[in-house]
Amino acid sequence: MIECVNLTSKYADGTVVLHDLSFKVEAGEQVGLIGANGAGKSTLLKSMLGLIETEGVISFDGKELCKKNLADIRKMVGYVLQDSDNQMFMPKVIDDMVFGPVNYGISRADAEKKAEETLEKLGIAGLKNKQNHKLSGGEKRMAAVATILTMEPEIMLLDEPSAALDPHNRRNLINILNVIPVTKIIASHDLDMVLETCNRVILINDGKIVADGKATDILSDKTLLEENGLELPLCMAGVPAFLKKED
Amino acid sequence: MNKAERAIDELRGIDKLTSINSPMHRLSPLSKMALTIIYIITTVSFHKYDLWGIIPMVLFPIIGYQFSLIPVSTCFKKLRIVMPLVCCVGLLNPFFDKAVITYIGTVGVSGGVISMVTLMLKGVFCLMASFLLVATTTAEEICAALNKIHCPKILTSLFLLTVRYISVLLEEVANMTDAYHLRAPGQKGIHISAWGSFLGQLILRSMDRAQALYESMLLRGFNGVIDYPEKENKNKYSWVVAIICIVLIIFTRYFNIPAYLGSLAL
Repeated sequence: MIECVNLTSKYADGTVVLHDLSFKVEAGEQVGLIGANGAGKSTLLKSMLGLIETEGVISFDGKELCKKNLADIRKMVGYVLQDSDNQMFMPKVIDDMVFGPVNYGISRADAEKKAEETLEKLGIAGLKNKQNHKLSGGEKRMAAVATILTMEPEIMLLDEPSAALDPHNRRNLINILNVIPVTKIIASHDLDMVLETCNRVILINDGKIVADGKATDILSDKTLLEENGLELPLCMAGVPAFLKKED
Repeated sequence: MNKAERAIDELRGIDKLTSINSPMHRLSPLSKMALTIIYIITTVSFHKYDLWGIIPMVLFPIIGYQFSLIPVSTCFKKLRIVMPLVCCVGLLNPFFDKAVITYIGTVGVSGGVISMVTLMLKGVFCLMASFLLVATTTAEEICAALNKIHCPKILTSLFLLTVRYISVLLEEVANMTDAYHLRAPGQKGIHISAWGSFLGQLILRSMDRAQALYESMLLRGFNGVIDYPEKENKNKYSWVVAIICIVLIIFTRYFNIPAYLGSLAL
């Protein structure tokens, strides 16, 4: 279980990015974190991993985020960064995939075996020995997800996972996210994907929680979404007016 | 393609060379490193007037290139900027050392000229050998070899991250240069008035990128050291080959082959 209590984050110049956020995520839940640009989604995810200093309490399965527990929590939580280029820093995909497990004491041979299984599961086994700089945006994104899955995290935090993916890879990712049995928080503007993958949604604006509830309830509330700089998911918006045939 | 993109391509070209499967590539990184270091030390140790003695040393890098399936010309192409600089070393020697020490026909050759050429050859040979090592061994393999000889892991990690960071920095330069030229058509290079903000932005962007990379590493358990794949035993004859080469290099150092061949002719 993830618990955030009175979470507040400030920049060095005093600008408050997160205002007194409190929420709980139960084990196995898939939560969508939505909000306009600059709402504080990425800041919240980074705060949860101790990458940004915050006031308040964050705990994972009762373990409070503090210096002493940081290594254990980071082992438990996998974070897919918004920009895959920042996630993939080794020369080859396989090197990146074994980087995490090896750091956590797994032998290289076992880590490679695990990496191969993960790539197979994601349907991207062909990327194993490819050089990172030769991957397309979509391949890089899938490989970035794979690097995290190899670590077998109990909780996954994903920042814009469907960005840069073509429809086929996006569908593939949605299917994968729906079958991985771990707790997930998915920060995204892709509301259709959030609707397909999450049963609960937290809407934030200006660093504050505006709404927290069932995904279908929040994502079908046009007024609420528009007030917070978002639009209805395409699947709920119906056929756009310019596409309707004139009678 | 702008200059930064060309530089990235050059770097990746070297990475590509390391993935060739050749007898030279299959040698263990540590034996190649030891061989290169001994070759460089031996080459540098030749006396400044020992021009004929140093010439056979060219054989080692040339044979190495043949075994690595990399044309020698690739080395000169990749090092085209450094090579002239190396050749400039000793350019002033002829002005300071004017004493004639040998004759070509009836033309006296000063010690300065001989030492200049010797220094140039030393530089070129050492560069050829270093490039051969870099073109046949990945940065990770070099770091693994250094770890094997108990080089502090923090230093090897720093070396590897620096090597990797060069391309990240160049990517940022390439993106910014493209963005600049798209809004400044017809301009050659970046106008001096934009240098300050360009460099400032480059530093800020690079720092952001470096921070993001570091965070990504921290989140995957990075604790200051990088584990490298074990490739040390990829060729069990590596050390035999290396030792034979080292013996031949030392033999070439102490036995003047051109002088011996010359005496046979007489």
